[in-house]
Formats: sequence, C-alpha cells, structure tokens
Amino acid sequence: MGELEDLRRRVAELEQRLHTVQTQAETVEREAALQMARALDLNARLSVILSLSAALPNSRDVDTVVRLIIRETATLFPGTSATHFFLVDHERNTLVLRASDKPNMLITHPMQGLAGKAILSPRAMLLVGPELELALNDLEPEHLAELRHSMREWPPQSALIAPLRVDSQRFGAIVLYGGVHAHLYHPRDIPFIQALADLAAVSIDELNQRTRAAALQRDLALTQSLHAEAEARLNTAQAQLLQSAKLAAVGELSASVAHEINNPLYAARNSLYLVEQDLAADDPQRAFLTIAQQELGRIARIITRMRDFYRPTRAELASTSINVLLRETLELVQTHLRHSHINAVTELGSDIPAIIAHADQLRQVFLNIILNACDAMPDGGDLRVRTRMLQARHEAPTTIEIDICDTGAGIPPEHLPHLFEPFYTTKTHGTGLGLAISAHIISQHNGRILVESEVCQGSTFSILLPTNLST
Amino acid sequence: MPPWQIQICDDDPAAALITQRGLQTLLGENYTVTVASSPNAAWLACAHGNVDLLIVDPGAGSGSASALVRAMHAFRPTTPILVLTAYDTPGLRTKMRDLGVSYYAAKPIDLKELLPIVLAALQTVPMPNAFPSRMSVYH
Repeated sequence: MGELEDLRRRVAELEQRLHTVQTQAETVEREAALQMARALDLNARLSVILSLSAALPNSRDVDTVVRLIIRETATLFPGTSATHFFLVDHERNTLVLRASDKPNMLITHPMQGLAGKAILSPRAMLLVGPELELALNDLEPEHLAELRHSMREWPPQSALIAPLRVDSQRFGAIVLYGGVHAHLYHPRDIPFIQALADLAAVSIDELNQRTRAAALQRDLALTQSLHAEAEARLNTAQAQLLQSAKLAAVGELSASVAHEINNPLYAARNSLYLVEQDLAADDPQRAFLTIAQQELGRIARIITRMRDFYRPTRAELASTSINVLLRETLELVQTHLRHSHINAVTELGSDIPAIIAHADQLRQVFLNIILNACDAMPDGGDLRVRTRMLQARHEAPTTIEIDICDTGAGIPPEHLPHLFEPFYTTKTHGTGLGLAISAHIISQHNGRILVESEVCQGSTFSILLPTNLST
Repeated sequence: MPPWQIQICDDDPAAALITQRGLQTLLGENYTVTVASSPNAAWLACAHGNVDLLIVDPGAGSGSASALVRAMHAFRPTTPILVLTAYDTPGLRTKMRDLGVSYYAAKPIDLKELLPIVLAALQTVPMPNAFPSRMSVYH
C-alpha cells in the first residue's frame, strides 16, 4: 500500500514537473516567436532606411525628399495617425508644415507645440502621457483646434519627435502622432525616427547648398557679364574721349597755325598785287607774278579748309535743350559722384528755350567742367548745377546762364588768367586741353565762360550762351 | 596836311607795312596812312591827331585791342573803326560787334577788296555785309 502511495506521489510530482517544463517551453517558444517577429520587423525597417538612404541623394528638390519621408513613415512606424514635416521659415521665425500624410493641409505657427519642442531638442524623443499633453497645450488655442481638426484620432496616445539638423543648424522637425487602436510608440522606435530625421536633414541641407551654389554661380555670371559690359563701355567712352581730345588738340593746333599764316599770306599776296600795279601790261615777268598769285590763293584756300575743320559745320547743329544735356551729363558721372561722396544739386530753370547748338560739343564742355569740379573735391562736397535766363534790357537778346559750382579747393589767383590756355595744367596727369577746348567750343557758340574762385571756398564756372545762335 | 588821316594798328610789321603802303598807293596823296605797332601807340595818335579811320588787328590776345576800341568809343565816338584781323573767329566777330565796331574784314583779304570797305568806313556809309557771316574765302 505504502509502495502504491509512494508511486502515485512520484507520478504527481513528475506530472507537476512536466507541466512546469511545458509551461517553460511555451514561454520560450513565445519568446522565440516574439524575437523572430522583432527581427523581421527590424529587418523590414532597416531595409526601408537603406532604400531611403539610396533614394534621397538622387532627389532633385525638397518636396520630393519630404514626400519620400512621409510615405515611408507609414511602413516604419505602424499605428501612426499623422505625420507632420515642418521646415523653419527663418525670415518670419515660424514653422511651416511642408507635408503631411493628408493632402492640402497647411499649418503655420510659431515655434510651439510638438514641432517647437522637436526643433529645440538635441535628438529624437518619445512623448507619452502628461509630457505629451503639456507639449500640446503649449500651442495657441486656434492652432490646437486646427491640429485636432486635421487628425482622425484625438487625443494622440504617444508621439515621436525629431529635429532636422546638420551640425548646429536647425531647419525643421518631424512629428509623428501615434494613436491608431491605442497603439503606443516604443523607445525602440527612437533610433529609427532619429535616422529618418538625419537622412532628411542631410538631403535637404545638400539640396539647399546646391540651390545656393547655383544662385551664387548665376550671380557671379551676371556680375561678370555686367562687369565686362561696363568695362567695354568704359573703354569705348575712354577711347572716344581720348579721340576727341586728340582731335581737339589737332584742331586747336591747326586753327592757331591757320591764324598765324594769315598775316604773312596777306602781306605776300598784296605785295604781289602792288608789284603788279607797277608792271607794264606786256612785261614778260607778269606770267610768273600770276603763278605766284595763284599759288598763294591756293594756300589761302587750304588754310580756310584747315580752319573750318575745327568748327562745327551747320549740318551738325541741331535744336538742343541745355537742361536735358546737363541731366544726361550728370547721369554719365553719377557713379563717379557717388564714389567721390559728392552731392549733386540741380536748379534747372523751367523757362530755358532750346537753342541751335552742337550737342556733343556742349556735352563735352559740361563733362570737362563737372569732372574738374570733382577733381577739386577729393574729400567730397557739393556740386551745384544751375541754369537761368538772363536779359539785360527788355529788347536785348536773351542769354542762357549755366553755373557749375563746387565747394572744392578753389583756384589760386595766379592760375586764373591762364586757365583757358592750351596745355596749361596744374594737375599731375592733366593734358591742359580740357578748359582750352571748352572755351573754344563755347566761343564757337558765340558764348563765354567766366570763372569765379576763392581758395578753400570753391569755384564757379559760368557759361553764357546766347539764345539766337548763329555760327 | 592832307584832308584824310588813316591810322593802322597792327603788331605784325610786314602785314602793317603792306596795309599802309597798299592803301597809300590806292588812295593817293589826299590820304595819309600811318602805322602804330601797338594799341597804346595807336591810341596816342588817335587822341592827339585828327584820325578819320582806325584800322585795328586785335591779334592773338585781343585784350588791349579791345581796350583801344572801347577807349575810341568813349573819347572819339565819331571816328569809325575797321577791324582787319588775321584771327577771325565767330567769337571775335561777336565781340567786336558788341563793342560797336561797324566794319570788319578778315585777312588774307585782297587790297582791292579792302579798298571799298575803307572808303565806306571813311564816309561812315553802312555796308550791307560789313560783317561777313562766313569768313571771307579768297577765290
């Protein structure tokens, strides 16, 4: 009996142990299945991350990156009820929702709520319970209402947030709201959202850099072409100036030579005339006299042509507005004025009539005098350009007065009488022709140039042009 | 003393001599033509003599010649002035006209063309083209 009892007890014991072992085996089996499921899950997630990291560098714009990320979050994080992708608008200091898993949703709000928290956090975070509630309540009521309206599940049970940052630069945030079937995110999800955010951040940063580089490249090309254009224009202008200065010098020279020849020519021709008076009509020498007279006549004609070369012909004369010419000239030198810190003021009379004149030559005169004024003000100053009508008496002819005043160094009295002489200059690099040519041009227009100057006070060049020009 | 007195003011000796000898030859003994080599000398002659016509070349620097013309207008307003210049420009023409000069000729003018201008000036007869609008060209 005792033996039977003993056997029964042992059987029960063994059954008991078998049961325990069975339970243990089940537990181990469940655990193995769980681990297997996790491994599969991890594998799936890793392959998503890998395919993203392969696809993102080929994306051509930020929107494509954002769309790819949004699409993959559904695979990576099951139970997600909403995915929000924010980018910072640095100018307005706000967050702009660039994409979500719902189309046509647009949220803009200051750095508040989960996105605000995400952008400020150093790394990805999991928010649950009171922490999540607190972050949501951080939003302005209208923003909260907007958010609530946009979500299927409310309130969210948990959330994953991650900043988009490269080095110390923050430019956005990813926010995932969990909540479908009361699903809770797990701390295991944090490295994945971090990886996703980092991938997105690097891609967007690279795209931004590329855009910026392209813009810089464009700017550079534009600047270069503008520079080349300006240089070409400057070269042309300089060549023209040089050419006209040379021409003027040649003209000045030929005019003075022509004038100097007139006296001897006059004496020689009329000497022959006086000799001719005393010569008998049939004198054989008369033939030579005639030749000499004809040849001197030829010289006279050559001299006249030479002298006329320097004078504007009638064809070049046209109706000209002095005010328009002055404005054009000032526009021509405005960069120069700005660089020299010269403040130009114009007082152009409204009653200045158009005159018959050689516009290019007058422009050269104004340019000469204005540039001289600039040279007299190396440390900046005021340039005043004024036009007005003058009339001595009621019936007298009218004159246009053009005053160009500077507040520069002034002209020492000993230089004043020589100002308009050719090749007279006080500048190191001056040709001494500018004012000589100017005076010549103005006198060709029957006008006059007057100078008033006081050392250390400034100079005023006044050009007087009659309105009834006849050259 | 011949009835007509012509005073020339020209600093170019050869030109002055030709004007003097030429006019003297063409006008004959009823005229006395004299030369002054500077505006100052010309002014002395005009101020102290009975000059009937002043022929003046303002030269390259027309300053002192202009002063002579101004002085003549102030003190000898009835004496006509003929400007005979080698330095003809529209500017000079305007200037001389503004100074009240009525007769103007540009060198190298022929004596036979100068003569009628001189005669007109002596009789103070206004000439239609005493101021040529273009410089005279010798043909």
